[in-house]
Amino acid sequence: MSASLALSLWLQSARLQQQTGAALGSTTAPDSNWTLDLLEWVRTSWLSTKLAGLAGMDQAPALPTWAAAAIGAGIAVGIVIGFVSVVAMFSIWLERRVAGRIQSRIGPNRVGPFGLLQSLADGVKLLLKEDIIPSGADRKLFVLAPALVMASALAMFAAVPMADGAGFTDINLGVLFIVGISALATIGVIMAGWSSNNKWALYGAMREAAQVVSYEVPLGISLLVPVIVGGTLELGAASRLQSGWGGSCWFLFQNPFVLPAFVLYFIAALAENKRAPFDLPESESELVAGFHTEYSGIRFSFFFLEEYAAMFLMSAVGTALFLGGWNFPGIDLLKGGWLIAAQLAVFVVKSMFLVLLMIWIRWTLPRMRVDQVMVMGYKYLTPLSLICVVGASVWEVWAAVPFHERPIWMQLFTPVLVFGVCAVLGAMLRKQAIESAAQPTTRSRIAPRAHAAAH
Amino acid sequence: MVNFADNTAPDSQAKAGGWWSDVWLGLWTTLVGMRITLKYFFKKPVTVQYPEERMPIPDRYRGIHYLEQEKCIYCFQCARACPVDCITMEAVRHGKELEWISFSVDYNRCMFCELCTYPCPKDCIHEGKEFALVTYDRKELIHDLLTYRGLSDEAKVRLAEAEKEKAAKEAAKAAKAAAAAKPAAAAKPASAPGAGDAAAPPAS
Repeated sequence: MSASLALSLWLQSARLQQQTGAALGSTTAPDSNWTLDLLEWVRTSWLSTKLAGLAGMDQAPALPTWAAAAIGAGIAVGIVIGFVSVVAMFSIWLERRVAGRIQSRIGPNRVGPFGLLQSLADGVKLLLKEDIIPSGADRKLFVLAPALVMASALAMFAAVPMADGAGFTDINLGVLFIVGISALATIGVIMAGWSSNNKWALYGAMREAAQVVSYEVPLGISLLVPVIVGGTLELGAASRLQSGWGGSCWFLFQNPFVLPAFVLYFIAALAENKRAPFDLPESESELVAGFHTEYSGIRFSFFFLEEYAAMFLMSAVGTALFLGGWNFPGIDLLKGGWLIAAQLAVFVVKSMFLVLLMIWIRWTLPRMRVDQVMVMGYKYLTPLSLICVVGASVWEVWAAVPFHERPIWMQLFTPVLVFGVCAVLGAMLRKQAIESAAQPTTRSRIAPRAHAAAH
Repeated sequence: MVNFADNTAPDSQAKAGGWWSDVWLGLWTTLVGMRITLKYFFKKPVTVQYPEERMPIPDRYRGIHYLEQEKCIYCFQCARACPVDCITMEAVRHGKELEWISFSVDYNRCMFCELCTYPCPKDCIHEGKEFALVTYDRKELIHDLLTYRGLSDEAKVRLAEAEKEKAAKEAAKAAKAAAAAKPAAAAKPASAPGAGDAAAPPAS
């Protein structure tokens, strides 16, 4: 069901691209859009000749467009589902391993090498579990909710360019599309919470709604900063704009206000994905499991997969708009298929690094209170993101020319600033570490003998 | 009474140092926390993968018993000392040698108090380092501590030697008796086997 929803969304996005492309007279439409190639290939492939042969025709009539589109989209959605599942399962494995190491444990290490197949084993277990629908639940919504949530995760992939020309559809309003689709998952979550007929599930859904409504604002505004810097809403075009300097000329290094915007985007993305410290919708200490309290088996696994897929997708958007997408120093030297493969690898590695950062933060920070989440969203993130937008606009207007035509001091100003900030913060952290190690004030360091003497 | 509402009141935040200070503190404390978790990430996990590797067990650990059967003299001191009466022993004495029938500890009852080891005059019952007692049946929890049943090989040798010695002594005695009886035998040859019979009972 989620596949069909994703399919329809994908088709919609393709139509959107054609329409907007025609309307704007787009010249940036990539000539190597492989989804259109796929469509053409399905139309004229051996499958259609085979069908024609079965029908007793000598000449294969080209498949009608709708059939070709359906088959092509089916193949594409299959690829997406496979990719999303693998990425999500790898992220789950990564999360459990990292959590283990941070807590001085080992984590899953029994199933397969380093426990890599643990997620697969868990998935099979969840598939085999009984599928329970509570008797008081609203059946239709209850069944539809995980499908909708999963569909939004799959549909977001449509606009993410993994490598130059290897995206599904490089929509020229890609940022808008992704922000819109990512909010669709929230509707699924609210549906799940409402239809479960469970007070905790409903509380979780309400919190999710409040949180997403609050954090969509800073998320969208902070996404505007790279859009201002690049001057495009198309993720593929934005990634292409970030090449240069041997492939390291990322938006992060093009404008001094992109770094704070990236931090803001990252925090807002954490809140959007219900990740700690913003995991109030499923806070297990208060709400059992939040909106998916009543879900079990395969439907639960949909929510679980969606969380990690959405993490990866938010990271992918962050990679494409802030961290240079598929660009990496030295990648320009490669050619042809190797270039595509290297770009894919670079993109996935960068996104997985951001996922790792999310996991790292989850196992560092405790959960916030509801009012703290609201205060942070409205009183801190939103004004800060507005400041970033204004600052970035001023900088871009002042510079007035595209990045590579600016004076050299202006091109080097931001990288130096970024590395300087990182160096200063690193030095401060080092100093703090040394000071905190020298301070014998923690409770665990009270000498046991002195403690005994006190009694 | 504490007024919890004050914690989130805007003026309390203002007192803490203002808006920019809050932003900075939020970032800085997160970074400090992340540094700490990173430190732990690169530490070695403390997990011991139990079936493959085991924790070091201290020397004075009180685990499952083991018995130095050769030393045991079947004195019942351990069984008497046991507060829960979980030691059962049975043996037959052959002079100084023991023919073992059973020496078992019932781990359904044993509480590993180690009181059985202290009264042992030969220091032959110990509590070892083995602790895994899981079984499929409670009957299997009655452990037999014997490493052999009946007589030990050494005891058999010693018993055989003692037999042999005894036989030799008897033979010597019989020879002596025979030598003493010789003159009489010459006179009364029919009484010689009777003298041999008379010599045997005191020896046994």
